[in-house]
Amino acid sequence: MNKNYRSIDLTTDNCIKCNICTTACPVMKVTDLFIGPKYSGPQANRFRNIEDRLQEMSVDYCTGCRICNMVCPSNVNITELNTKARAKLVDQGSFPFRIRLRNNMIARAEKLGQIAQPFHPFTNFFLRNKPTRLIIEKILGISKEAPLPNFSPYKFTTWFRKHKTPNNTSRKVVYFHGCSTQYYEPRIGEAAVFVLEKNGFEVIVPQQNCCGLPLLSNGEFHSARKYHKNNVSKLIEWVDKGYSIVGTSTSCTLTLKEEAPKLLDMTDRETLKIAENTYDINEFLLLLLSEDTLNLDFQSISFEIPYHIPCQYRAHLLGKPGIDILHLIPDLKIIDTEADCCGIAGTYGYKKEKNQISSAIGNPLFEKINKLNPSLIICDSETCRWQITHNTNIPAFHPVEILAVSYGYRTGQLFEKLKLISK
Amino acid sequence: MKNVDTEILVIGGGATGVGIARDLAMRGFKNILIEKGDYSHGTTGRYHGLLHSGARYVVKDPLAAIECYEENEILRRIIPNFIEDTGGFFVLTPWDDPVYADEFLQGCKKVKIPVEEISVTQMLKEEPYLNKNIIRCFRVPDGSADSFLSTEAIAESSKEYGTSVLTYHKVIGILFDQNRVSGVICEDQIKGELIRISADFVVNAGGAWAGQIASLANIKIIILPGKGTMLAINTRIVNTVINRCKKPSDGDIIVPAHTVSVIGTTDYKVENPDFYPIEKWEIKLLMDEGEKLIPDFKYLRVIRAWAGVRPLFTEDIETDNREISRSYVLLDHKKRDGVDGFLTITSGKWTTFRKMAQVTVDLVCTRIGVNRPCRTHLEPIQLEKKLSRSYATIGTRLEKIEKDKSYKHLVCECELVVEQDVIESLEKGQAKTIDDIRRDTRLGMGPCQGEFCTYRAVGIRHLYQMKNVEESNHELQEYYRERWKGVAPILWGKQLQQEKFNELVFRYLFNVEKLPGKIITNKFSSPYLPSVETFKTIPDHNITGSNISDKYISASRIRKQSDIVVIGSGLSGLVSAICTSHQGKKTKLITKGWGSLFWTSGCIDLISPNADINQDFMENPLDKYKQICLINREHPYSKIDLRQIEESFTFIQDICSSSGYPLLGSIKNNWFLPTSVGSYRPTCLIPETMVAGDLRNNCTTLVVGFQDYLDFFPKIISDNLQKYNLECSSLVISPSELSKRFTLNNLILAELFESQEFRDEVCHLIKTKISDGTIPRPKRIGFPAVLGIRNSSLVQHDLELKLGSDIFEIPTLPPSIPGIRLFNVLKKQLINSGGEIYEGMEVNGFESKNGEILSVISNSTSRILTHTANIFILATGGILGGGIFAEFETNPKEKVFNLPVSVLNLNPDYCNSEAFFDPLFTAGIRVNEFFQPVDYENNIIYHNVRVVGSSLFGSDYFFERSSEGVNLTTAWSVGESIG
Repeated sequence: MNKNYRSIDLTTDNCIKCNICTTACPVMKVTDLFIGPKYSGPQANRFRNIEDRLQEMSVDYCTGCRICNMVCPSNVNITELNTKARAKLVDQGSFPFRIRLRNNMIARAEKLGQIAQPFHPFTNFFLRNKPTRLIIEKILGISKEAPLPNFSPYKFTTWFRKHKTPNNTSRKVVYFHGCSTQYYEPRIGEAAVFVLEKNGFEVIVPQQNCCGLPLLSNGEFHSARKYHKNNVSKLIEWVDKGYSIVGTSTSCTLTLKEEAPKLLDMTDRETLKIAENTYDINEFLLLLLSEDTLNLDFQSISFEIPYHIPCQYRAHLLGKPGIDILHLIPDLKIIDTEADCCGIAGTYGYKKEKNQISSAIGNPLFEKINKLNPSLIICDSETCRWQITHNTNIPAFHPVEILAVSYGYRTGQLFEKLKLISK
Repeated sequence: MKNVDTEILVIGGGATGVGIARDLAMRGFKNILIEKGDYSHGTTGRYHGLLHSGARYVVKDPLAAIECYEENEILRRIIPNFIEDTGGFFVLTPWDDPVYADEFLQGCKKVKIPVEEISVTQMLKEEPYLNKNIIRCFRVPDGSADSFLSTEAIAESSKEYGTSVLTYHKVIGILFDQNRVSGVICEDQIKGELIRISADFVVNAGGAWAGQIASLANIKIIILPGKGTMLAINTRIVNTVINRCKKPSDGDIIVPAHTVSVIGTTDYKVENPDFYPIEKWEIKLLMDEGEKLIPDFKYLRVIRAWAGVRPLFTEDIETDNREISRSYVLLDHKKRDGVDGFLTITSGKWTTFRKMAQVTVDLVCTRIGVNRPCRTHLEPIQLEKKLSRSYATIGTRLEKIEKDKSYKHLVCECELVVEQDVIESLEKGQAKTIDDIRRDTRLGMGPCQGEFCTYRAVGIRHLYQMKNVEESNHELQEYYRERWKGVAPILWGKQLQQEKFNELVFRYLFNVEKLPGKIITNKFSSPYLPSVETFKTIPDHNITGSNISDKYISASRIRKQSDIVVIGSGLSGLVSAICTSHQGKKTKLITKGWGSLFWTSGCIDLISPNADINQDFMENPLDKYKQICLINREHPYSKIDLRQIEESFTFIQDICSSSGYPLLGSIKNNWFLPTSVGSYRPTCLIPETMVAGDLRNNCTTLVVGFQDYLDFFPKIISDNLQKYNLECSSLVISPSELSKRFTLNNLILAELFESQEFRDEVCHLIKTKISDGTIPRPKRIGFPAVLGIRNSSLVQHDLELKLGSDIFEIPTLPPSIPGIRLFNVLKKQLINSGGEIYEGMEVNGFESKNGEILSVISNSTSRILTHTANIFILATGGILGGGIFAEFETNPKEKVFNLPVSVLNLNPDYCNSEAFFDPLFTAGIRVNEFFQPVDYENNIIYHNVRVVGSSLFGSDYFFERSSEGVNLTTAWSVGESIG
């Protein structure tokens, strides 16, 4: 089939109106403002003429969690249909200026980081400050309840520049840190580097920029395309040299692997080669395991920890690689929360008009976690971690941090936390 | 007999007829329009919707071309709301004569039809799906028109000017006064009464039936019905009318019409304008021609095939007493046949209907001797009562529904038809049948072809117009059949799967064919001949290798080991995975999405005969099972014994009761439960929440539905249940929670029932109606199957306590809440037994060696995953589940392992007359007694593969009501044998 052009639109044909997606949509369960995946996706798409203005806004309430894609038995790219409709709304100017400004602000995590991180004591103070948050909400529409994380005192790349690679490395790998690791949680990048080095890899952190997913999700396709093109041009030389790209942020890796090429119809050699050579860190380690090159020198971590698999991670279609890799650690018991969505959905939960929906979606998960009353929780996606911590007061960590500790990493928040608990 | 007087009588309610009526009325003539059916149910409602620019005729018939173009401009002025300005392209493809293109261009310029040659690059920018090998492209002012709505609008306008309209009145005799026609006798098709209409003049605008009408006046007109077949493509694959730039011929045009694209047409003379088949060669021709314009056309989803008949006039005597024009024929019978007071207007194109009306009325004026000029080309249609459905661009439909927030009022979801539209069609539109409603609203014209909306429309009509229930039953059957007629010729790809789904609703969930009252079908014998056809698509099975493309082999793979891999998460997938897990095997279930438990009733059927209710009541399902095993050696049940049937049923009952959701019943007898149309459904194991509904309990019953909940119509259920000698009444309640909401579906209702407040309000509303005497006190109360999703037992008992009656639920349109409950129980059981579920993974490849499967392959993002196991269980659900598919002109294929697929052969008696029977529906994989797949010589293809469930060949599981039984017993047997 002539799959290149508008292949997403062609999946409209696949829908047999079975309604399975409407039973699975976490947004429909909590609000009437979203009419559901079947309605907003394949059904409405038959009424969206490419030449006319789109006259419906309810599709903007889709969170892009992709659960509908997972449960659809017919291969309809429902989420992508919704995202494309949203992009059309953006393109034709259907969003008021203030909304668009706000969306662009929160979607440019890199820009925010570049501007705000250097002044982290001030920015962090202001963002904790209730009156400030109220003003920000009133003026910009960023919800005062939203889980804004603290800027880190140092950038990941600053740490990495000072970091010395150990001598016993035989292979090289590229690490894609993403904005969250760079500006908010460099500790995750540090743990990832440690784990990769323990497996004999010299980690390279080349020039890279934001993957652009928040822009994609908000329908800002032109900007997202620029971001992705830039990233591709920066990373291609490494991939052409034969190195893989590994990331710890599930959104970034999903964007590089699939979402950007698919939604933006990018089919050039470089984009596709980057896609084929990008891996999530757990996936990468499992690959090493299947090739019998994984360092199996895991030390015991005798804990029971709940693990929430983010919606976007499910969308990688890898099964549950986080659980699979953590099972290798002796004495570690992982409890799968088996919940659907934490509700944050990237930038969705930060928006004033959507924050309540976001909390309502995540409520079942928060209740489950509170019932377990754990000391910490594991989750691969940054925004999900912030959302869960914000709503349960329980700290959240990335699986790679657990792996690092099991490999002997003796610094950092997680290690301190585990030490505390075992006392 | 009733007598009516008028000045002019117009026969025929197509575009021409209503155009004439309006023109007459505007010129001050008292007139009556009669039509034997509904407006535009003839040729007008069966064409592709093209508003001609005239460019099509510039080479062969320039006069006709000019006429079309002039009318094109006029119609855009007078009925703009019914015309979409799509523009048109004439494209020169490599298959066309380049000389014609030059003639075409010259021809357009000569008659001054606006034409602009555009570059192929520009053409592809506007229409990216067109063939890149197109050589030249010309832009012309074609348009796309809605002939249903415009006909109705013109008729309405005509009424406002004074016309009387009698639809469903058929002319059965023409009256004479010496040599002059003085009127007609017509028969009311609904009530059967006869009416005599006296008129000064009679105009015969009967289209393809004009010859039949004229013969009633002993006038011979030869009208040959020229059938033209068309296909509707599911989406607007093009937004411009695409014409082949060549001599007009078959299959040379694609018209975007509302939400679909229509490709047409053929031209084949048939005998009868009322009955004509759609033939295979026509479908092939249209698909082949489509492929030339749009590459990979054959992979697009075709949702319907239909045909209309053109009235082709031929004259076998020389006469010069007629209007000479290639596009239409106006016969003055005084000059031609010596009969005064009678005119016939026929042939023509929709685009010129107004002109045809004009010349006809001009001639009437001349004959009568008055001079009243025509104004129809000057005055746009202005309706006092605006038709709510008129819209020129499809996006306005979405906009309106969002503005009105009328989501819960959707009747036809595919075409966004709301309840108000249906009611308006019944009232103002005077719709008599569901097909009439379809013409007014597009109900049932989308991809699901009436699967959901037929029930809803019939339910609304039944309630609204207080219909006799037998009439409603008839309508229900009729409309499903009517929709089937148009999909039977195009059963491939997604539409094939959709229609199998349609069969599930029609036959399995609703059991429409067994509705009490007028029986449409008397066919109780098997629809299938004993013969089997097997499609051999697999090569020699001693092959080493895989079927993955090279691209993927070079990408990295992650290998995942387990003992058992189960593919598919329907009932058979889950059961087999649970069985193997229970026996300690590391089991991984991989599924593309969720499965059929979300659609079926949540019960387990063993088997039931397709006879009448009295026989069904008496027959023991076990007896039937034994019968089947004797007659049909290919049936899955023949491969297992009674012990396995018993144990598998016990197995699922044990799992369900230990999960707090018991399934009650035994294989020795069936329950007889009501369906949501009021038919009956024999079934074997049912949840507690359905027990009280058994139709053999003769007690006062109340059926309760909810306001604005359009998936359940209590009145049609209760009216039908009364036919089983039950005292039954119905009630619709309106809890405040529901009125607050804009959307309503089964899951929302089920969640609401989980809450105490909602249940309290529901009970209060029902009790009020009982205590004030509106309804008799019921011994049992039936609800739609939404009585809770997690705690259905609690919900049921709470309602029983508060209402003091037994409570039961009736499964309705998908998604099925009882099915989801069962799914959740089984899923939890699988996880608790140590199994793993990987969802969103489609298996579409494998590696094998020496007749053994080494691994299956699923798509991950930007790479593949390899799943190795010792045994692979294929539970992909056949045609309905998507595990077996058939593209256009290809044999059915099995998706994962490319196993050979077999189908039962259809009894020709059933073809074309019964709904939802087709050999492809029975497609399945042949297996041996161990459920290993075998080829047609019974050699095992892969030793470590087992096929279970609906993928199996040999049972028409909806027809014989054995779907869950086959799924459960085969899955359990395989699971047990592996351990």
